[in-house]
Amino acid sequence: MVCNSGTSLVPTIDGTLHHFDNVGLYDALFVMQDKESSTLWNHITGEAQYGPLVGRTLGPVGNLLQMNVELALELDPDIPVAISSRRYFAGGRAFGEGPVPTGPGRGDGPAAGEGRGAGPGRARGPGGAAGPDGRGELAPMFVTTLGTEDTRLPRMGMGLGVLTPTTVRFYPMDRIRERGEALIDDIDGRRVLVYVDPDTNTPAAIFVDASAATLEGKEVRLDSGGVVRSGLVYDAAGQRLDAERPQQLFSRWYGFALTFPGPQIFGQ
Amino acid sequence: MAARGRGRIRRIVGLPLAMVMSAACYPATAAAQPESRPVDLPDGPARPGFDINRFSNAGNGWFETFYVEKTESLSAVLEDQRVADDTRVLVLETATGKLALLTDQMAYHHIAQGRAGDKDWMATF
Repeated sequence: MVCNSGTSLVPTIDGTLHHFDNVGLYDALFVMQDKESSTLWNHITGEAQYGPLVGRTLGPVGNLLQMNVELALELDPDIPVAISSRRYFAGGRAFGEGPVPTGPGRGDGPAAGEGRGAGPGRARGPGGAAGPDGRGELAPMFVTTLGTEDTRLPRMGMGLGVLTPTTVRFYPMDRIRERGEALIDDIDGRRVLVYVDPDTNTPAAIFVDASAATLEGKEVRLDSGGVVRSGLVYDAAGQRLDAERPQQLFSRWYGFALTFPGPQIFGQ
Repeated sequence: MAARGRGRIRRIVGLPLAMVMSAACYPATAAAQPESRPVDLPDGPARPGFDINRFSNAGNGWFETFYVEKTESLSAVLEDQRVADDTRVLVLETATGKLALLTDQMAYHHIAQGRAGDKDWMATF
């Protein structure tokens, strides 16, 4: 979960902008601190953890969706991008300054051995090398910050966490793959498609009007006649639909379960 | 942990470089990394269930929040070949619509903050 899942938050408290830094670890996840009050904050839930602003939340929490440039432009051809001076790689070339980046998409990403290609899911885990099961291990500097873990799944197992106002459910990657990398589930009385995006090899969830889904090439075909392609939903007539996405996090089990204790596990 | 100023200072002395080096998502060039800086902590309170004794300052000072001051058209940046079709991005909603950040860069920054449509936004990764 360290560095491989994220959210969008609102950094304004009582109308005042606060400025945040990454200052350490807790539950093996990075912790934010705002300069204005020195309060420590959970970077996933936006909740104040320690300090004078305990009780406050940097909400509403929104999705930070993982995709590639092609999909982002499909989603919105006019989408802007913010690029810092930091080094990054694109098209086999290096841009920017600083050391070679690590982390998701760079070959040292957190999801050890669970992805394919160059996506999140290669090589190393957060603070540790890949273990024999390909899931990686946490280094001691992370382990010492862990609370009591939920042992129903392997600590480093990757999956998609989906959150609604009444449901918190984790979809392990291997369970999604067992079901052909696309499945329809029911959350709060609504049908949700959970699938592994064929372009980015990352899991995603979208509310759909269908009861079965099949991954065929780069498309997810719905039994309603609809299709999900490049993260977009089309009806049987080929009309693009405004698809709603539940709050979701591509994360490791330990981080998700420590952040949202006692989540439901799909298929269990 | 020692008292200083209005709060407490948490420091891990002599954080072994081997640990630093093994931290994925933390810069790979461990030799160039400074020691984790102490964190000036307030005197609480703690949210119920939060144990301040498990907080570690590991990595404090290694990363810089990305304060976004300008954006560009992603399609134009693609045309300029400063990104490729398969370059990984993170997409969030701001008050003026969607915004993309480069995953490579966010794996370093961890936090990005900016303003759009008179509303402040923040992404954490």
